[in-house]
Amino acid sequence: VRLSLDAVEREIVRLWEEEALKSQGPRIELLTVVALVSEERLRPRAEEVLAQVVRAHPSRTIAVTWKEGEQASLTGDVSLHRVTAGGAACGDAIVVEAVGGGRRWLPENIDRLALADLPVCIWWVGDLPDFDDLFDRAVVSSDLVIVNSGEMDLRDIEKLSSIVERSRGRYALTDLTWIRLKPIQELVARFFDDDAAAGCVPHMQKVTIEFAPREEEADVASTQAGLLFGWIAQAAGMRPEGVRWQRGNDWGEATLGKTAVRFVHRPRADVPTGTILRVAIECGGGRFEVERLDDPQVLRWSRHVQGSMTPPMSLRVATVEESTLLAGSLARPRRDPLFEKSLHTATQIVRPIAPRLSIPPQRP
Amino acid sequence: MTTNNPFRVGLETERTPAPCVFVIFGASGDLAKRKLFPALYNLALSRLLPPGMSIVGFATSERSDDVFRHMMHDAIAQFSRRKPVDETVWDDFASRLHYVPGKFEDPANFVRLRERLEALDRTNGTRGNRIYYLAIPPSEFRVVNDNLARAGLVADANDHARYTRIIVEKPFGTDLASGDRLNADLHRVFDESQIFRIDHYLGKETVQNLVALRFGNAIFEPIWNRNHVDHVQITVAEDIGVEGRGKFYEEAGTLRDIVQNHLLQLLMVTLMEPPVAFTANEVRDEKVKVLRALKPIEGEEIAKLTLRGQYGPGNCAGVPVVGYRQEPNVSPTSMVETFVAMRLEVDNWRFAGVPIYIRAGKRLTKRITEISVHFKHVPHVLLAQHAPVEPDVLAIRIQPDEGIALRFVAKVPGPSMTLRPVNMDFRYGSTFGGSGPEAYERLILDAMLGDPTLFARSDEVNAAWRFVNPVLEAWHSDTSPRDLPTYPAGTWGPQAAADLIERDGRAWRRL
Repeated sequence: VRLSLDAVEREIVRLWEEEALKSQGPRIELLTVVALVSEERLRPRAEEVLAQVVRAHPSRTIAVTWKEGEQASLTGDVSLHRVTAGGAACGDAIVVEAVGGGRRWLPENIDRLALADLPVCIWWVGDLPDFDDLFDRAVVSSDLVIVNSGEMDLRDIEKLSSIVERSRGRYALTDLTWIRLKPIQELVARFFDDDAAAGCVPHMQKVTIEFAPREEEADVASTQAGLLFGWIAQAAGMRPEGVRWQRGNDWGEATLGKTAVRFVHRPRADVPTGTILRVAIECGGGRFEVERLDDPQVLRWSRHVQGSMTPPMSLRVATVEESTLLAGSLARPRRDPLFEKSLHTATQIVRPIAPRLSIPPQRP
Repeated sequence: MTTNNPFRVGLETERTPAPCVFVIFGASGDLAKRKLFPALYNLALSRLLPPGMSIVGFATSERSDDVFRHMMHDAIAQFSRRKPVDETVWDDFASRLHYVPGKFEDPANFVRLRERLEALDRTNGTRGNRIYYLAIPPSEFRVVNDNLARAGLVADANDHARYTRIIVEKPFGTDLASGDRLNADLHRVFDESQIFRIDHYLGKETVQNLVALRFGNAIFEPIWNRNHVDHVQITVAEDIGVEGRGKFYEEAGTLRDIVQNHLLQLLMVTLMEPPVAFTANEVRDEKVKVLRALKPIEGEEIAKLTLRGQYGPGNCAGVPVVGYRQEPNVSPTSMVETFVAMRLEVDNWRFAGVPIYIRAGKRLTKRITEISVHFKHVPHVLLAQHAPVEPDVLAIRIQPDEGIALRFVAKVPGPSMTLRPVNMDFRYGSTFGGSGPEAYERLILDAMLGDPTLFARSDEVNAAWRFVNPVLEAWHSDTSPRDLPTYPAGTWGPQAAADLIERDGRAWRRL
């Protein structure tokens, strides 16, 4: 039964009272997670992810969908999230459906349904349009905005950069693809943990990043590869201004000062598209490499540095589900300066080959 | 590790351990198999071991590297918190495992050990960094330390090119004199900054969360004092017996095994002043001040403020169990205590006059470790027409089901002003899901990072023995059965434990 939004809060109170009669389980909610589901087909996936996430972060979740219709309306339905089927409740789930012009009313009603005095996280599910009035208005009263650049094109890196700029620090932006990169970043950082290797960093000559492209990939690099190099470039102090590009069918090479960065397509069916398959760095006479092996969850780490002997290692980096990535981003709902800096650097590097396509519409 | 790595800036893991050789003395013993190797394997699984790090087992039995690896695979398969064994990670982990057989008394074995470690430095880039873990009885510490020093296996504490650290397990002695002797033995070879005394209670998430609760929230600290706190209770209860460790327990007893270390650690973290920073020396300075402020229990006060007990036959969760004296390797006339209760006081500005009741024991009703802070009654009983108003209680559960509960009073819905206590309950498991790292994982990683915050310092150990010693001596000199009441297994200890707190008009919290 779909409820008027007016009735949603009352129904939630009733469900929790019913729950209290069944068990002594406490009601603990840490935040409100709002999923703005950009396409109806993504709704089941979004609801499934939210149901998983609340097990680590007991929360109120609000899944918002919209569809065309003449009569503008907003309705909702509610239920409780449970740790296991039939187990203890760990949050409440609201699904809001907007019809027609009702989509315009969503931001203020999301505010109304959010838990008082707790962080609000907005997760945009799907590809983010270049400009979206709902997104722009909803994020204003949020603390954390979560997107997934893995579902976007390389040119959208610049769009994300502009969201950070527009936020002026009022809310934080994070990217599930950025969270996915963390194990690779950790392994790359590990190359340079001793003085002998750290001394090589200023002499970076060549970086190779191989990734699994989408079918008929038109971009030189996946957003994941672009972000990874943005991070490497800012850490190594490279200057992205004046970047020069060359490209072939399945590769692209950027030159930043004395450093050549080659992005290589390596089709592979057993990993999600965009996945990093190999990172190799040559600098100051040292060679550093992380490569995904035949088992896609196993990475081989190796390095050769003059005067510093280290045996190679094999490490398991389990495939991370979307819900784990989302939970990871909710663990610290605050700005990540490293992400913002890496995004900014990546934007400058890829702009010549993946410029943003449109300009903001004039607001009335 | 280098602080010049620009790739570490802004990452969650801003500090990583430098590659080292981790040498475990007593590598085929129970502790190594149940705790140490599973903890190291789990660190490898979490990608927290540095590249090149090697692990060398040292024990008396002759066996090859391969046989040793096989043994450790079985141990990890049985005792790791994450199962089954990930064979890819295991292969990599196994390549780091080595074994050196030999008796601890023979210096030649330490020369062989040095040669093996130097070879690992050359092939694995461990650069002379060493961590020695003494998973052996304290009686063997001295000979191992001396032989390590004699073989040139201990770097100077001021050597910035390489480090040597030693991790020792409790018991840190058996009384004040032996505790001091043990410290002196360690200090002959190692600087205090190189010694990591492990008390695995400090590695538990909830103990660390107690610090977060007290010093990360503004609402608790202002009321954490004698003006608002009526009393504090600390319970460390086990439902198991001595589990085949009768021989060990006959020499230890609950006072040495639990109170002198785990329980006093919990007491210190509960009562310490805010440190100026969450760094090793600042935290440990504040902790040791609590021990120094403990009112000594001596002379006639021992009989008044302390009591011991020993479990007799009874049942554990409905299963009949034998009494302590019927356990294997336990004397049928044993006077060793399996239960301790005490009333303590801390003579400092903050807690003067606030009683601290502690109890610890084996074969109690259930396994639970909890600290509860009982606040004072409201000053004026305005609302107690129909029932006395229960005072508020903040309970910190260390194990199992780690969490924090606040008991306060609420009005029962209805026309009359009826009040009843309600619990606001925070549980780690249901709030954050999953399981955190085991205490040993956290502590081993801290030792690799050189962070001793969660380890006991020599002056803490000394102060703990100084407090406990008079009680130990009095109990050992008094062997009359009336002072060692028996309690049925599966109960909350002897009746005298209830009397100890009830004569102050209070009661043990129902757990």
